[in-house]
Amino acid sequence: MRRAFALSALLLCAEAASAQLPGLRRRDPVPVAPVLVGIDALRADFLARAGSDIVYFGGDAAVLTPPARMTLAAQAAWLRQHPEVVVRIEGYADPSDTRDHALAVGARRAEEVRSYLVLLGVPAAQLTTLSWGKEKVAVLGSAPAALALNRRAVTVLVR
Amino acid sequence: MTVRFAPLVPIALALLAAPAAAQEPASVIAVPPMTTPDGSDRGAGGPAAIAWQATQLIASDLRSTAELVPVGPNQKDYYSYPEVTAPTFSRWRAQGAKFLLTGFVRANSDGRFTVGCYVYDVNKGRELGRIGFAVSSDDWRRAAHKCSGLAYTAATGAAAGMFDTQIAYVAETGAGLTKVKRIAVMDSDGNNQRFVTVGDSLVLTPRLSPRGGDVAYVSFVGGLPHIRVVDFDSNQQRPLVPTGGMTFAPRYSPDGNRVAFSMQQGPSTNIYVVSSAGGVPQRLTASPGIDTSPSFSPDASQIVFESDRSGAQQLYVMDANGSGQHRITFGGGWYADPVWSPDGQWIAFTRRIPGVGTRIGVIKPDGTGEQLLTTGPGDESADWAPSSRELIFERTGLDGRPALYRVAIGGGEARRVATPQAGSDPDWSGVID
Repeated sequence: MRRAFALSALLLCAEAASAQLPGLRRRDPVPVAPVLVGIDALRADFLARAGSDIVYFGGDAAVLTPPARMTLAAQAAWLRQHPEVVVRIEGYADPSDTRDHALAVGARRAEEVRSYLVLLGVPAAQLTTLSWGKEKVAVLGSAPAALALNRRAVTVLVR
Repeated sequence: MTVRFAPLVPIALALLAAPAAAQEPASVIAVPPMTTPDGSDRGAGGPAAIAWQATQLIASDLRSTAELVPVGPNQKDYYSYPEVTAPTFSRWRAQGAKFLLTGFVRANSDGRFTVGCYVYDVNKGRELGRIGFAVSSDDWRRAAHKCSGLAYTAATGAAAGMFDTQIAYVAETGAGLTKVKRIAVMDSDGNNQRFVTVGDSLVLTPRLSPRGGDVAYVSFVGGLPHIRVVDFDSNQQRPLVPTGGMTFAPRYSPDGNRVAFSMQQGPSTNIYVVSSAGGVPQRLTASPGIDTSPSFSPDASQIVFESDRSGAQQLYVMDANGSGQHRITFGGGWYADPVWSPDGQWIAFTRRIPGVGTRIGVIKPDGTGEQLLTTGPGDESADWAPSSRELIFERTGLDGRPALYRVAIGGGEARRVATPQAGSDPDWSGVID
């Protein structure tokens, strides 16, 4: 985090120098990608190394599919290297479910992900869970493909 | 809204119609303009004005039912004050009416008004019931709703007090990720809506206390979904139980003293009951699966709920202490959201049928007589009208916006219930005294 701050300070100095010397087009050594700091930098790194922060579930189930297990293995590897990071696993049901049952299914999906991450060596103290039920849909519509994209658990870095 | 000058005459039980039988043709009821004693003030806010508005409200109430077709009020149908209790039956028989509602509004010396109503069987020329109230000028609407209830009870045999009731629901504005949900309570005729929550956090499934005044609902305030209880006059609110876990699916016992609900523990969800004043919850189910959506029988001796302990969700009934759990549905797909009718005869549910969607149905508590009442594909969250003859439910249209509908269990099309915003999770109160 400290290095990121230093980089942005350097960038400010470079801009100030070029403003004082018009016509002298200096070769810019600083990459133009946005500078991420703190939790945003961690989230970007987590996404890049884990591949995805989302796993999907089939049908009415909370069973982890082989692709979901691969994603979670990568998430677990990252979380083991960042024991200071706390994550919230958010479970969702699709909108064709009924209101009460959806809350329970979302919780069960989040719990399934949490248990698997613990199994892969992530300390339980790093993990919390939350169900959104059938609220906050990711994709609108009642087509099977849209419903499938809502049956999910998302690993959210909290701090 | 107190001094009842005439007791409600018990209604002949021979009029009781069998619920959920084949759809009966609706009966015509004449609703001519209520009258006033001679010499009454004809000005605005006077008895004549209130009589006209009250008659319109009664006709509107009765028009909202599946069983009655009101005719009137028409100006030409005015009758004299003595005819309130001695109607000319041939006049209403000629209009094809099976029933007749007469009434009067009289100004009292203390500034209050007396509203009186009478219901007759036109063919037999017989009075079926009468009801009356001395009310302030602000309360004539409630008196009119009570008159509507008298007529509905006389004509159908349903429990009294159908129209002077409230509906709580989740009012939705916006769509998709910007959707805002607030709990609203309105009179069952759609008037007098007010918001109970302000929309700063997600809320679900409001349930009115049978005693009135309180609403139990699920809130996401603070992150974790949990049941809160709000007194909607004082707006004071509190969590139902102090817990670190997710609690949801609240339902009051018929006397309002207890609340049955679900609590999540790890991957499983079980049913608990707790005093509505708070305290230590008592656990009623202990399956490794999902047990949720509990609903008391009207005598509070049993609870119906849904469970996936046998695979897909099905309906189960247990004694109120958790013993004697047994399954009552065995059809394909899923059964969810059971609600016991106020008369104890039926359990309403949402059935999820793969490839079809969700539809509302009813089944008897012993598991027989199942029938689906709506066409779907996005119907859910049914609750009973106080009459036990109709259900209110949520229907999601093709545009993804939910709206409230009502359907009679005797058959017929579902009809839209007008609400100012899109609405979900309806809850219809019992009779308010």
